[in-house]
Amino acid sequence: MNEKALEIKNLKKEYGKNVAVNGISFDIKQGDFFGFLGPNGAGKTTTIKCITGIANFQGGAIKVFGIDVVKEYRDARKKIGLAPQEFNVDIFAKAKDIVWYMAGYYGIPTKERQAAVDKVLAKFEMTEHADKAFQELSGGLKRRVILARAMVHDPDLLILDEPTAGVDVELRRDLWRYLQEMNKAGKTILLTSHYLEEVSHLCNKIGIINDGKIAAIGELSDFVKDGKTLEDRYLEITAKENKK
Amino acid sequence: MNFIGLSTFVSREIGRMFRVWVQTLVTPWISALLYIFVFGEIVGSRIGDFAGVSYIDFVLPGLVMMNIIGSSFAHASSSVYFMKWIRSIDEILVAPLSYLEMILGFVIGGIVRGLVVGIGVYIVALLFTAATIDHLALFLLYSMSIAAVFSLLGMLVGLWAKSFEQLSLLNTFIIMPLTFLGGVFNSIHMLPEVMQKFTLINPFFYFVDGLRFAMIGIRESNVMGGAILIAVLVFGLGTLVWYLFKIGYRIKD
Repeated sequence: MNEKALEIKNLKKEYGKNVAVNGISFDIKQGDFFGFLGPNGAGKTTTIKCITGIANFQGGAIKVFGIDVVKEYRDARKKIGLAPQEFNVDIFAKAKDIVWYMAGYYGIPTKERQAAVDKVLAKFEMTEHADKAFQELSGGLKRRVILARAMVHDPDLLILDEPTAGVDVELRRDLWRYLQEMNKAGKTILLTSHYLEEVSHLCNKIGIINDGKIAAIGELSDFVKDGKTLEDRYLEITAKENKK
Repeated sequence: MNFIGLSTFVSREIGRMFRVWVQTLVTPWISALLYIFVFGEIVGSRIGDFAGVSYIDFVLPGLVMMNIIGSSFAHASSSVYFMKWIRSIDEILVAPLSYLEMILGFVIGGIVRGLVVGIGVYIVALLFTAATIDHLALFLLYSMSIAAVFSLLGMLVGLWAKSFEQLSLLNTFIIMPLTFLGGVFNSIHMLPEVMQKFTLINPFFYFVDGLRFAMIGIRESNVMGGAILIAVLVFGLGTLVWYLFKIGYRIKD
């Protein structure tokens, strides 16, 4: 069994002359809850897009559970669930259909699919809103649909890009609890968030990206020590990097 | 092959067609009804026999073909373009679907819409004439393969277009003129010699002529030649679309 859930080696991604990700390398072990931090435009979302197949990249390699995301992209994608920052859905589709279709794309047979969709919608308290079109939902409910869609196929690696942006405290706490349950059950989670309190609460490992490069990586305890919070350390590291 | 994934994608595409059924189905049927009524019934009744059949029977295969072409093209181009625009294309990019399965999803959606609209036009025509289909298997084969050609072409335009205006360019300047000049309303022998030569290099002429042969048994070209042309187009366009999906042309960052 491959111990690494995610291996990124020398990943390079350019948009024209702009280097968005500049040769980064890091691993996430199976069962890790990895907080991927960085200022806006640092390269977090671009890295996620490269992992999940939404973006091509110019250099390096990415493996998910030992599977190359380019050469064996179909097998690699079976392992991943993505909740992106943006609402990238058919806004006219019903909430339940959005989740249903995604379960189908992942090859879940019809009989099992209904149960999987019902379960994940119930988990996010979306059952009563299941027949509403996505565009009719509030911001928080939309976020729940995106999360349900990411989890319906029970992925081994869950990638959450700003999952709690714009959601109320209740959902945030429910989501935290749910993610912790998943992580305890052995799922690997990569989380990006600007809420460092959230990251401190959930993650056991932290990576900070700044200006397309990994500025720091380690256990949460490496960052939170000597009376300093994660936020203190984060500000120190990014400020130091920006001075370079 | 991820058959469940593919069938899910196809059902999503078909669901999208029925979600806006007035626009996707009723509009072309009403348009065809008017064409058949004006050109077939009013004008056609004064023409009398035309190439051995009534004018309405001569025109009908061309009208069916026009609608199959228009519907399959519109389906694939709008689907790809809108998925790009609202980024819901990411849903299939992150899923374990091969590029071939993604393309098949769009193409099968386009074929289904083309057939539903085309057969609907045929049923509308039954109000005015006892329209026949002499060779049903050939009719279906021709209809489906031409719908596949225009679904692939629609996908290319959907991938390429960066605006709604660009989305309609090919239809306005290429597809519509070549369809009308491809013998929908007239026999090639009615045209001046220069135009006849032009028609013979117009691929749409072979599409219309092949379907006319399948429906009423009249042909002005070699049906096998038309079939080979369609096969070459399906293969050529399919390969190009597959390559563009593989490199992520305008769908991947």
